Formats: sequence, structure tokens, C-alpha cells
Amino acid sequence: MAIGAGLDRRLGRRTVLAGAGAAAAVGAVGFPSIVRAQSKSLKVGVYGGYFKDSFDKHIFPDFTKATGIAVEAVAEPTGEAWLIQLEQAARAKQAPADVSMMSQVAMLKGMAAELWAPLDPAKLPNAAKVKPALMNKYPDGRLSGIGAVSWYITLVTNTKSYPQPPESWAALWDPANKDKLGLLALVSNSFLLDVTAATFFGGSKHLDSEQGQLECFKKLAELKNNVKLWYRDEAQFEAALKSGEVPMGQYYHDVTGLAAADGHPVRSTFPKEGGILDSGSWAVSKASKAGDLAHVFIDYMCQPQIQALLSRKVGTSPTIDRSATDLTDKEFAAVSSDLAPIVPRYDLYVSKADWLNQKWTEMIVG
Amino acid sequence: MSALVLDGLTKRYGSFTAVHGASLRIPHGQFVCLLGPSGCGKTTLLRMIAGLEEPSGGQMLIDDRDITATPAHKRDFGMVFQSLALFPHLSAGENIAYPLRIRGVPADERRRRADSLLELVRLPGMADRPVSRLSGGQRQRVAIARALALEPKLFLLDEPLSALDAKLREAMQIELKQLQRRLGITTIVVTHDQREAMTMADLVVVMSEGRIRQAAPPMEVYRRPADAFVADFIGMTNLLEGEVTVPGRASVPGGELALAGLPPHGRALLSVRPEEVLLHPATAAGGANRLAGTLSFVRDLGASVEFRIDVAGREIVALTRPQDRPSVEPGAAVIVEIPAEACVILPPEGRVS
Amino acid sequence: MIRRAPRSLGEHAPILFPALMLVVFFVIPFGLMIAVSVARRIPGGFYEPDLVFANYERFLSAFFGGVLSFSLELAALVAVVAVGIGFPFTYRLARLPRAAQVRWLVFLLSILSLSEVIIGFAWSTLLSRTAGITNLLVAVGLMAEPQSLSPSFGALLAGMVYQAFPYTVLVLYPALARLDPALVEASRTLGASPLKAFFTVVVPAQRNTIVATLIMAFVFALGSYLLPQLLGRPQHWTLSVLITDQAIYQSNMPFAAAMAVFLVLVSLALVGLSLLFGRKEEA
Repeated sequence: MAIGAGLDRRLGRRTVLAGAGAAAAVGAVGFPSIVRAQSKSLKVGVYGGYFKDSFDKHIFPDFTKATGIAVEAVAEPTGEAWLIQLEQAARAKQAPADVSMMSQVAMLKGMAAELWAPLDPAKLPNAAKVKPALMNKYPDGRLSGIGAVSWYITLVTNTKSYPQPPESWAALWDPANKDKLGLLALVSNSFLLDVTAATFFGGSKHLDSEQGQLECFKKLAELKNNVKLWYRDEAQFEAALKSGEVPMGQYYHDVTGLAAADGHPVRSTFPKEGGILDSGSWAVSKASKAGDLAHVFIDYMCQPQIQALLSRKVGTSPTIDRSATDLTDKEFAAVSSDLAPIVPRYDLYVSKADWLNQKWTEMIVG
Repeated sequence: MSALVLDGLTKRYGSFTAVHGASLRIPHGQFVCLLGPSGCGKTTLLRMIAGLEEPSGGQMLIDDRDITATPAHKRDFGMVFQSLALFPHLSAGENIAYPLRIRGVPADERRRRADSLLELVRLPGMADRPVSRLSGGQRQRVAIARALALEPKLFLLDEPLSALDAKLREAMQIELKQLQRRLGITTIVVTHDQREAMTMADLVVVMSEGRIRQAAPPMEVYRRPADAFVADFIGMTNLLEGEVTVPGRASVPGGELALAGLPPHGRALLSVRPEEVLLHPATAAGGANRLAGTLSFVRDLGASVEFRIDVAGREIVALTRPQDRPSVEPGAAVIVEIPAEACVILPPEGRVS
Repeated sequence: MIRRAPRSLGEHAPILFPALMLVVFFVIPFGLMIAVSVARRIPGGFYEPDLVFANYERFLSAFFGGVLSFSLELAALVAVVAVGIGFPFTYRLARLPRAAQVRWLVFLLSILSLSEVIIGFAWSTLLSRTAGITNLLVAVGLMAEPQSLSPSFGALLAGMVYQAFPYTVLVLYPALARLDPALVEASRTLGASPLKAFFTVVVPAQRNTIVATLIMAFVFALGSYLLPQLLGRPQHWTLSVLITDQAIYQSNMPFAAAMAVFLVLVSLALVGLSLLFGRKEEA
């Protein structure tokens, strides 16, 4: 969900900024000859709006040039509607898309239903470079998905209201910041439980037990007085942050950087506990008959040049180690950080979804 | 002392003048009818009297007190509207008691007064009837009772009977007149129906194009109309254009009339009521004020017989009682006699008194 | 005209179309919603047809009871304020010259074209500390320093009344334009001041219209789910917000449907009660 709703809104500014610089041409050498087989068309599902537009412009044409595989881009709806469509289609042995970009929660739900065709690491030489945290695996170790794009949610501030950047997520709890914060309104997209665990309880292991989860909720309840805006609509918070109406909060690192580059008095800070790293993964529907082509596509996407291209053009953080890419320090800092990230406990948001949601709603509404 | 005095009351809407300087004195207890065709300004005049329109000029006095600037709700006049304007959310009795409620009269007193007013308009026991379940005539009476609830100084009615059928209307005219006489209340009714005005009024005020043409008792208006408009509007009349040839004689189409009171020379406009015109067979002896013509049409109206006679290209209408009907048939040559005393000499057209 | 029960299909025809529309646009969707509300939720997935009442049980808690009653109170307050302002406004409007009336109605219709999002953003800007009306008050010296008035209950109420206002005016307008002006004039000649005439004649004579408009505004406000998020604090989130959360963000269709069914039933009951009350008054 966060991917779709979060990034669509960046379209306007992004497309302007993305104009400069020619797309890095990627050589066609070294790709398996299998792609020369008769079926040369692949349906790829990406979130409709900003992502699909960017991929159509910067990624798919080069991919077709490099591999001879035509891409039929499918706009995915937001939320988990796409997962449900894939599931229902799979029952009828149909695949509306062969490869889809899925949020982590949707990945896990699809895994529970054995929706994803296992991937063969042998056919994905470039995937070896992808960070282990961004590899999705079935409980028995089979590979179900591979990180497609990732991005950070960080601590953002208005520079006029806060001349000094905050250093820790603990700033959210500081009584001096009463009625100053803008935080995401949902337990499953704010990842504030993970932030609380990382900041006060030594890491996300604390969320293993219900006891630990309740402790995090209790701690979270303490910052309620500081929150002016619990937002679902990112544009509302972005406007309020720029104007200083809501001078502190959590927001997307790259969007904030672009706003600052545009001259707005805002900054994004990676707190010492790390930024929240959210991501989407590529997964292949078990009903797809183009598994081989899908492997070619996923492998293509894992290449360092492509990850660097995504960072420059789409604003996502590379899914592979930065040293493998040719990103400059400045380019890298615009989308990522070397600090260890807070990786959300997606498993919890699936297994205890209703309970967490209920507790969360009671906590902020109550 | 007059109950109501209007002095040069004028109402202008932009460049349009609805009422031109209306002046009138209405004595206490009079029943006045403002009579005229639609658009003549009679309703506007009544609404100014009621305080619902602000005059653009002039003055209004009631019992010598200037009320020109007094708002409607402080005038203490009762008014019956053309649409009756009964309050749909109230019963008949509550409608009548409304003005009492506004003045804070206690409920039981209100009830008592409403009942007696219903009695007055001959609707006893109807107090709890919803307005929607009253007949046209009953609504009429409720509206009248409501307007009378405060024993107003002035009782105003704007075409109150226009929604009723002809028969009920006649009956209500008589009833209204009787009620007014019984209460002795100064009353002003707007109507476009001259029969209605003749039936009820002590004083008929004929209006046209925003001006008062004549204000006089009904029979005077009928017999001595002030101008051609009044003569034509009130009842039926024959208008004859003449030219004064020698003093006391006017030549009209078809002959010459000897009349007293003619202007010394020039044009003269004459009005003579059809029932005053005498009709003779062509064989009858000649005489003064007799014109020769041809009978073109006869109509038997039951109570009277109407003859239309072509006199030198002009039509003259004569009415006789059936028993006085001369034995002439259409196409026959006839002689029309216009008695000098029945002829009203009017100011020439286009001039206003 | 003799009234007897219609027998042939042809005689039923006049009510067939509205009945069909009611079935297509209300009975079927509502039936589907009830069916979904008793479906079994698969945690981490979607739902399967079933007949379980767990969703209703979950709803029957003090927490959701509080949210429901807040939603109803808010909707009722919005309806009362919107009609309270809209009725005298429309009454005056219906008495303006024709050209002025048309201008106002076009203006109000153009407000209808604004989406909830735009209204929400406009009001949050208008009530903000950095760009809002308090800056104006500071400029004229009525206030020491600009203040943030949003998010708050007042901001939410203002936004929702603003949104409901054109609807109330458009619903009230035909009835008030038809109102016989002689009714007020009659009450004036009977001794009522203009204000008294308004309250003793215009308002009571239009009681049914007012009740119908209140119900319309109430139901309309009950469905609002964006403004409470944009202009309210979490304690001002209505049941519609929570339904949206469940349906869209939590993919918990059965629970969302159960809450929606509850909301529909409660509002139907309230509307029924007010109509019953109205009829009794009239009798």
C-alpha cells in the first residue's frame, strides 16, 4: 500500500527533474539465448501512476532493446486488490501479470497462499548482490521474491522551526515538541512500532512477544500529545511541513530531499537508530507461463547499472550494496544512507494485522 | 373627521409609476371599493394603505394621525388577501387566534374569541378543522374572521371573492356587506368586478392607469360618470362624439341632439346608458333628439331585450323591458330617441380630471 | 376516480421503474454488504462466504460505540447548523430579484463541484497558523499572534457545514420559492414584526421541508470520511473513517461491511423515528 499511495504523488516534480541526463545504455551482451524463444512478451505489473510512468519511460524500452522481450506494463491498483486479483486469476490458471511488484505485506500474504512461483537462483546471477533483507523466502528456503525497489521513511523537520536537526527518533517523544508532529495514521504504514522498539527497547526482537508489543504501544501513547496531524494523505503533511504548520514528523527521505532542493525549508534526517526501510519485491505468479522470461527480467533489474538508474530517475534506494554501483556520495545520500536501517516486522503486520490495528486505533483515537 | 385620508399618495417602481398622487377622504364606517381593470394600481394603493408597500410620495392619515411611515404590524388594520394566506400549519381556530397569540392574549381567552368570531362568520364549531379541510367559502370566512380578530380600525380586502364561483360570490358579497354594516367598520375592498362594487360599496373609487378617475357613491358613478373611461367601465354605455354647431345643439352621426350643458363650441363627448335609449318604429312621429337607423340585431336576455341599431355607421345599443318591446324585427328601419336628461356630457377623451 | 388494487402488469407499471431502481441501487448492494459482513475473514488474506457474527461482536464494544455515537452527534450537529444557517439564507435568497437568485445558485452549484479533498485543504489552510485568517486578525490588531485553528473540532464542523450548506440550500430552495409571500404579509398585518413573522409563520409552515432537509444533511454528513481526517484530530474520526481504514488499508471487508451495515441501520432507524415523530406532531 505504502508504495502506491506514497509515491504517486511525487510524479509532478520527479518527471521534471528526471529530464536531464541520457539513460544509461545497457549492453545486450551476456544474456541467455533462451530469450530468443518464440514467446517474447512479458506482462509486468507495477503500481499505476508514478511508478508505471517512470518504468515505461526509463526502464522498459532499454530492457526490450537489450533482451528482445517486449514488455506489456500492467498498472496495479493500490492496496491489496492486486493480490486478490492475482489469487483469483491463478485459481482459473490465468496470470494478469507474469511478474508483479508487490509490497512486503502482500508478498507475505501471497506466500501464505503459495501464490508465488519459486525463483531459481541459478537463473539470477545478478540477484546475488541484492541485500539479504530484501530477499523473500518461503519457510522451506525457496526463493519467492526479490527486492525490486526500496525507499526510506525518515525523521523530517522544518529548518526554520528547527535550526538544529534532531539526532534520534526519541525527538518524537520530547515534551518540547508538543503539538508539532505529523505522523502516518496507520499502524501498517507508519511502522512506528518498529521505531519504538528500535529506539527504546533495543530492536525489533522486542516485538516478538505480545508483552513487548503492548509495551511499545504504551510507549507510543506517550507521544500522542505531540501529534498535531495523523495523516493518511501525504500531500497534506508535505504542505504543512513546508509551511511550518506541522514542523516535524516522519516522511519519505527522497521526496523531502527534492522539496529542500526546490528551496523549501525542510530537511530529512537519518536518526542514529536508522531510517525505516520499506520496499517492494518482484514476484512471479504461479499461473504464469513465462517463468523463464520473468527470470530474465528480474535478473536484469538487479544489475548495478539499473539500480543506479532507478536511484537517479525514480528516487529509490538501491537494493544492492552501494559499492557495486557507480552512484556518487551525493546521489546516494539523496536516496539512502549507510546507517543500518529499521526494517519493519512485516510478518507481524500480517499475522496480527487485526489485533495491531485495533490496539493502534484505540491508542490514537482514545 | 375622516377615518382615512390619502394625500397625493404615489408609488413608483423605477421609471414606472403604479399610483399617481392618489388623494381620498374616507369617512368612518364607509364601505369603499377600489375598482378598475387589472394593472390600474388599485392593489398597490391598498398595499400602501396596509403598510406593505412604502409610498414614494404623499401622506396617509388615520384619525388625523400620520401613519405614512408606520410599519404594517403597528397599523392595526385587518387584511384579507387574494390568496387568503391562511396559515397551513394552523387550524381554523388557531388561524383566527393568531393575531391574539402575537399580542400575548392568554390561551383560553384566545379560544373564546376565536369561537365567537367563527360564530360571527357563521362557521360555529369549526375551530379545530385543519385549513386544508375547509371549502373555498369556509376559507374565505376564516380569513375574514382572522382579519377582524383585533377589531381593526380599517378592514382591507384584496379581491377577496375572486376565487369563488359566481353564485357563492354573489352570496358572499351580500354577506360581507351585511357584516360590515353590523360592525360599522371602515372597509376598503379591491375589485375589478363592477357588479361587486355596486353591490357592496358606499363609495366607489374608479381607477385607471394609476390614477383615481372618480370617487363617488355607486349610483352617481353610474349615472354621472366623470369621464369616458368611467362611463365605459361601469356598466354598458353608448358613447357619442358630437360637434357643437349652435349653442345647445350638437350634431352627432345620424342627426342632431339638443342638450343643456354643452360647451359653447367644439367637440363634445356624450354618454347615454342603453336602458335610457328609446326605440320607436320608423312610422312614429318625428321629434327632438330622434335619430334614424336600421335595427341590426336583437337579443332577448330574459329580464331585458337588447337591440343593436346601426345609426349612420355607428352602433347604438338600447335595452327595454320585455313588456315594452316594440314590434320591430332586424332589418327594419327604426327611430332612436335619446332623451336630453339621460345624456351625460363628458370631458373630451385624453384629459384627466 | 375509483381506487382499487392494480391487477394487470400494465397497472403496476408506474411503480415498477422506481421499484427496480430501488432494488438495483439499494437492495442488491445492501444485500451484498450484509452477505460480506457475515463472511469469514481469513487473517492475512481475504474472506470466504460463511455465516459468522464475529464482526458484529467485535463492533459491539465501548470503543466502537463511542465512535458511532460521536459520528451520529457530529452528523446531527452539522445538519442542525447547516439548516440553521441555510434556512434563513434560502428564505432571503428566494426573495431576491431573479437575476441575483440565479447568480447565487450558480455560485452554490459551483461549490458542489469541489471535492471533499479540496474543501478539506482549503479549510486547513484558512485555519492554519502560517497562512490562515488569524494572520488577518493579527494584522488588524485583534490578536497578539497567529494561531493554528486546525485540526480541531471547530475546524471539522466548519468544513462539514460548508460542504453540506449548498445541498441544504438547493433542497430548501424550491419549497421556499413556492412559499406564498402573502403568508408573511398576512402575519405582518396581524401584528407580527418581520422576525416574529419568520418564526411563527415561515418556519412552522415549512416544518416538513425542514425535517426532510435535516435528514438529508444528516445522512450526507454521516458519509463524510475525508474531512474528519483532514480537519479533525483522531478523536474526531467518524465511523466512516474507520470503515474506510478497514476496507482499504486493512483489507478487512467483512468487518468494514459489518460496520457499514450497522451505520445504515442506525441511520435508517433515526430517519424513521424522526418521520414518525413528525407525523405524530401533525396529527
